Amino acid sequence: MLPAAFSLLADYTEDYAWFPDSASTFSEGVDSLYYWITGIAFFFFVIVIVALFFFALKYRKAKGEKATSQVSHNTPLELAWSVIPSIFLVGMFIFGAKVYLDMRTIPDGSYEVGVQAFKWGWTMDYGKGTYHPELHLLVNEPTKLTMRSSDVIHSLYVPAFRAKKDVVPGRYNYMWFEPTLVTPKVSDEELAEATKEVEESGGTWDYDKYQFTPDGYKFYDLYCAEYCGENHSEMQTVVVVHETREDLEAWVKKYSSRGDNVSLEAYGEQLYERRGCSSCHSIDGSQRVGPSYQDAFGSTRAFASGPSAMIDENYLRESILYPKEKVVAGYAPVMPSYKGQLSDDDIDSLIAYIKSLSSAGQ
Amino acid sequence: MSAGTTLPAGIVRDPGFPTQSENYLTNSKGVLSWIFTLDHKRIGVMYLIGVSLSFLLGGLLALALRWHLVDPDGALFSNAIYNQVFTLHGAIMVFLFIIPSIPAALGNFLVPVMLGAKDVAFPRLNLSSFYLWIFGAIFFVLALCGSGLDTGWTFYTPYSTTTDTSVILATLGAFILGFSSIFTGLNFIVTINTMRPPGMTWFRMPLFLWATYATSIIQVLATPVLGITLLLLIAERTMQIGIFNPEFNGDPVTYQHFFWFYSHPAVYIMILPAFGIISEIISVHSHKHIFGYRFIAYSSIAIALLGFLVWGHHMFTAGMSDMTTIIFSALTFTVSIPSAIKVFNWLATMYKGSISLTTPMCYAISFIFLFTIGGLTGLHLGTLATDQHLHDTYFVVAHFHYVMVGGTLVAFLGGLFHWWPKMFGRMYNETGGRISALLVFLGFNLTFLPQFVLGSRGMPRRYATYDPEFAFLHTMSTHGATLLGFGLLVALIVLLRSLFSGRRAVANPWGGATLEWNCTSPPPFYNFERAPIVGDPYDFHDIEWDAENERYVTIEPERKLAPETIPDEAPAHAGGQN
Repeated sequence: MLPAAFSLLADYTEDYAWFPDSASTFSEGVDSLYYWITGIAFFFFVIVIVALFFFALKYRKAKGEKATSQVSHNTPLELAWSVIPSIFLVGMFIFGAKVYLDMRTIPDGSYEVGVQAFKWGWTMDYGKGTYHPELHLLVNEPTKLTMRSSDVIHSLYVPAFRAKKDVVPGRYNYMWFEPTLVTPKVSDEELAEATKEVEESGGTWDYDKYQFTPDGYKFYDLYCAEYCGENHSEMQTVVVVHETREDLEAWVKKYSSRGDNVSLEAYGEQLYERRGCSSCHSIDGSQRVGPSYQDAFGSTRAFASGPSAMIDENYLRESILYPKEKVVAGYAPVMPSYKGQLSDDDIDSLIAYIKSLSSAGQ
Repeated sequence: MSAGTTLPAGIVRDPGFPTQSENYLTNSKGVLSWIFTLDHKRIGVMYLIGVSLSFLLGGLLALALRWHLVDPDGALFSNAIYNQVFTLHGAIMVFLFIIPSIPAALGNFLVPVMLGAKDVAFPRLNLSSFYLWIFGAIFFVLALCGSGLDTGWTFYTPYSTTTDTSVILATLGAFILGFSSIFTGLNFIVTINTMRPPGMTWFRMPLFLWATYATSIIQVLATPVLGITLLLLIAERTMQIGIFNPEFNGDPVTYQHFFWFYSHPAVYIMILPAFGIISEIISVHSHKHIFGYRFIAYSSIAIALLGFLVWGHHMFTAGMSDMTTIIFSALTFTVSIPSAIKVFNWLATMYKGSISLTTPMCYAISFIFLFTIGGLTGLHLGTLATDQHLHDTYFVVAHFHYVMVGGTLVAFLGGLFHWWPKMFGRMYNETGGRISALLVFLGFNLTFLPQFVLGSRGMPRRYATYDPEFAFLHTMSTHGATLLGFGLLVALIVLLRSLFSGRRAVANPWGGATLEWNCTSPPPFYNFERAPIVGDPYDFHDIEWDAENERYVTIEPERKLAPETIPDEAPAHAGGQN
């Protein structure tokens, strides 16, 4: 078959070629439609190309020789090759629309997750104040995403689910899917080894390198598919599909608001990773879209508008809630507001964390 | 008849070579005679130089993108620079090259000559449209030299109203280019409507003119919408008026509707003239009457009209209502039928023809191959369910490059080689030309076939970096782009060399029957010495190969005066029996 023939060209480490894993109820419909259209296209392509090269060689003549026919039209033939392809097109349209309508009809009682897209990251809202950039789902459970954007148009795309929908600022867009394949967990040893490695290097978790999440789940990729500026291609996160509801709930609980014995500072560090701060603000002084947190607290900054001021708790709180008010000179006013998304405790935690990164704050 | 046989008796018509002073290139001298020229042929040549330079710039940007993608973390570009490079590649290619290439460069040169007219209807408007093009191009260069442009060539809001790059300069450039495009279209419509010589009925017009006419309709009707949209965008950026940006109670999807209402028909501004060129090349180099002339002519008009109804298929994932999406999907399929008809007609024209595999014919065959792939992969994108997966991935990138590069660019090159002897009076090296066609074909396929696989495997477009599993296909694609660039370089060398050392071209090097082959190469200032005799543009009966002089000549059987009782036999151009 064709996919097999192309698999060598495409990727010698994988046993598939045309598509990534088929992991949702949509995959089968989309894939079979794709193969069907490709088959028809290939059929007409072969007819056209064989005729093209055959005629070009067979009727090649020396200069000056006359063509053996000057027939200029044949109405029945022309009608035939207009009508027959049209029938195939009607078929494609009908099946395409049918599968599409299934993709658009959200079943009642779906598991609901809120999605907030921003430059350049994702926040999934699991309710009761639990936010996390990873999308966690339950197998064979229809899931509805209610999506909004804080700045420009983004598009949520999970290739393994064959599902995509733009996230347009100023309106809610919805999508749904039903995952059919569980993403397995790696062994505890493997996870422990990777965790140790990351802790020792003091870096952030590298999903591409380990191919599993910090909790040890393998995953599917989730991309932003609508161009959204500088770090468009970094705006990726992962989808994990759990086998049991208990497992999913345990994961959600692990990331719900600050536990009794967790310090503000430690929780602030988690929020920094989870709420997308890390995509724009470094903690090692390196240049990103926004100013680095390293030694930020207590320093004096010049602002694009107005006089300079010292970075203190009040400034940090204002910048989280109203980021466009006082933008540090040299940076673009691109940060979305977190008003209504972070509790007071969350903001306190973040401020505590930022303080801990500065010699002036300790 | 084969080479060596004697020519039949009759009146031999062969304009021969132009004298030194009677062709348009030499009849007046000096830079000013070009800058202020009103001659459509010189304006066409100036456009040709302009669009070729734009293509060179856009092509170098494309190569830079591909080389970056071999090793995206090797940081040939930062993310921000990569975004600017792909934006400028797209904007320059669309606004400065593909849209004006065939209509403005080849069209300006050919429309009056093929029509049998002395010039276009409004020569001054024609010159002003060229200078508007120059102004528009300058604005683009200013944007490039300023703070760049990183919106993508589509200028989608609200990104374009918030980014701090030179959006206003670039959109003003596109706005001015729009006027240039409208003027060219208007000029062609009036020219074709009013300046056909006696005997040139609508159905005796070469198909390139039908294609140009259909294109001009789109240019005149659709371009103003783009202009207004871009002005609204500028108004919103400068005055914070709430049209597209939700921050001021606007709706970003409205922008997409406005933008694609122009830009989808614009796709047909790009491809319809290419269809026209291919119809000419296939017929002339097969020495056979074009098959289904009326179907091809009508399908050009059908594409121009249906092209206005399908813009919504760019927004299948934007969140339009289900009914709207389904209607746009259905309409999208209707536009593929006239395109398919043309491909079948070209094949039927080749059937039992007398095919010469000249350079233009090689490009035309390459066009049919590539355009067929481009057209057929459009089916995956028009089908709603598969589009949900493929939208905004490399599958789309591959699809529209097959249509625009494999279609428009290859047809443009084919047309350039086809009419080069007519335009400059010099023949080029055939072997070199064919090698360029082969390299372009191979390089192009190696570049874009892997991108279909990338797309269906889920690689989004406009990514400066990507996941490691896509690396192999990206590398393949980059090697293809390099080969493609090399093929284009060969084509450029072959054409430029011919200007200096090419054999002098005869009036009719390919044996064509359309009017432009009836004047000398290059044409005289007023195109024709006397009013041309208009017949069926695809009737090759009278065209014979003169082996002795190695050229095609037109041999008209000696006509006897038509008896008064059968006036119908008088040729249409004779103006009646008197």
